[in-house]
Amino acid sequence: MTDTTVTRPRRTFTWPSWGWSLLGVIAVWAVIIAVRPGNVFDPLTQALSLAPFLVLVALGQMLVITLGPGNIDVSVGTIISMASYVSVAVGGTAGPIVGLAAGTMSGVAAGLISVLAILLLRVPPIIATLATSLIVTSATLLLADAARGAADPGLRAFVNAKVLGIPVLAIAVALLTVAVWFLLTRTRLGVGIIATGQSERAAERAGLPVTAVTATVYLTSAGLAGLAGGLLAAFISPSTVLGSSYMLDSIAVVVIGGTLISGGRPVPAGAWTGALFFGLLSGLLNLVGWSVGAQNVLKGVLVVLVVIVAATVTGTGRSSLRRLRDNLAPRPVAASEPTTQHKEKIHG
Amino acid sequence: MSITQIALPARGVRVRAAAANGSPALLALGALVVIFILTAMLQPGILSVSGLTLMLMASVPLVLAAQAQMIIMSVGDIDLGVGYLVGLVTVIAATLFIDQPLLGVLMIVGIFVAYAAIAYVVQKRGVPSIIVTLGMSFVWLGIGLQLRPTPGGTTPEWLAAISSWRPTWFPAPLIFIIIATLIGWYITRRTLAGTRMRALGSQAPTLEKAGISLVRVRVSAYLFAALLLTASGLLLASQTWSGDINAASEYTLMTIAAVILGGGNFAGGRALPIGTTLGAVTLGLITVLLSLINIPSSLQSAAQGLIVIAVLAGRILIERFSR
Repeated sequence: MTDTTVTRPRRTFTWPSWGWSLLGVIAVWAVIIAVRPGNVFDPLTQALSLAPFLVLVALGQMLVITLGPGNIDVSVGTIISMASYVSVAVGGTAGPIVGLAAGTMSGVAAGLISVLAILLLRVPPIIATLATSLIVTSATLLLADAARGAADPGLRAFVNAKVLGIPVLAIAVALLTVAVWFLLTRTRLGVGIIATGQSERAAERAGLPVTAVTATVYLTSAGLAGLAGGLLAAFISPSTVLGSSYMLDSIAVVVIGGTLISGGRPVPAGAWTGALFFGLLSGLLNLVGWSVGAQNVLKGVLVVLVVIVAATVTGTGRSSLRRLRDNLAPRPVAASEPTTQHKEKIHG
Repeated sequence: MSITQIALPARGVRVRAAAANGSPALLALGALVVIFILTAMLQPGILSVSGLTLMLMASVPLVLAAQAQMIIMSVGDIDLGVGYLVGLVTVIAATLFIDQPLLGVLMIVGIFVAYAAIAYVVQKRGVPSIIVTLGMSFVWLGIGLQLRPTPGGTTPEWLAAISSWRPTWFPAPLIFIIIATLIGWYITRRTLAGTRMRALGSQAPTLEKAGISLVRVRVSAYLFAALLLTASGLLLASQTWSGDINAASEYTLMTIAAVILGGGNFAGGRALPIGTTLGAVTLGLITVLLSLINIPSSLQSAAQGLIVIAVLAGRILIERFSR
């Protein structure tokens, strides 16, 4: 096998960067079926009902992470909680669609704080979004004191609706994922996002509106989190801790899905495989009877392992089976610095 | 020492460099003084030894954790697991130290091993530290929840004794804060390991060409950080007399903010222990001040967020204009 790929390097099969998480999805799915025999598609439809919310948040987080090193949005969790109250409160009087829009806009408003802090005050994104999340937490607490209510029955029916066993929401979010993919590959904004992530300075020199791109991405991420919060309010119910797990989960899902953590390479499909993997895994662990604590430990270890494997596989950004072999098999050549330096000297 | 004396640049250059390096710390000092005066005006009682003790107590573990974060940030990394790790140490102290002391000690050792492993992975595999420590924060949280799902427990007497020591002539927390700063200062500014850490943060290729193992330097930085974080958790447990995995969850933000406030940067290569302590105490006092001016508890976190943004923005603006 090695010989064939070496002799014909052009014909190597390029392993998609979301492939690993897809393998994970299939593996966990298989284990669930083995543990609890039953309808083969049951675990998957279950995971599909919760995954869309995580995918929504993860798509925004992916865009942010794609902006380059240091870019991360840690405010998504608290925005979800806040938006859940906003959408229910507004939706109660003005109808569910206006409610959802209000939830989204409350997210965008929170994102505006981050954007102002990042672009005008030059506060590092992680601190800016953390500070935003503190402000949003206060807003959530105030809203929780003021408003109590349940989501609109119509919206509730929509988020629970299924077509041929597949949740309607999953289809909608899948369409959105395609839209994000289109945006990233076919539009000026998307190319600007990727270019900024690969080299902010180069993007700036090339005349790309880096500031506008950065602002758009953070506002989009916050807006998607707000939308997810509004939908979650109907799927579960508004709560001050509704979104708290989404901050870490969204980052984990993005990384597991194959998006390059150092920016410049988004993988929209990976948001799905990552979210499904996470959903199936927690379903499996609940099935086996693991405690919340043990689940968290496993989640953490998985994130770390995936990042390490991803770093081993992706040398400079493209991931392929060949690169994995290069990196894993002849380790002394690939891993140690002195050898490569030595080589350079000979060439020079 | 003699080598450094020979290599000293002209006095003018040194003064200018000190001013440039110290100015961010001066901002933290200014903020600290303003907040202290405000607090003293609202509550004159804090100007006594017992008042200062109460006011500064909460800052002691934060200062230790901030020194740890400073060390990590000096090599160019960020530790996002600080909050839950400190919480985990309080859980270990309040649960295992009583029931199974041996297991407790083993878990503390395990934390050190984990930190060494993180450093190894970050250095060898080029994995971003933010993500690895973020992943580890899940692990700390999970272990903490497993050991103690709800806050509680009791700390051993020797541990509780540390924080109940209250001399009448001097506020005890101030002593701890000074000791913590001295430890951070000694590690980063006076030891060879500390110099190498800062070199790793600013000029890693040069350090490697000098024949120094980058892995060893990063591991040593993470081990020092683990030491300070463990001390932070133990002191927090000795103050609260209980274990709670969420006891210090806000430390992750506060320690990073303290380092930046005190003149540190995200790029690495800088370690300013005194500035970091000033930053941490400032942030700790903000909490005290907010509780004194009677704003609703739900608004406190917003005020904290706004103040952090304002102070950081102020620092960044000052830095830009001083150049």
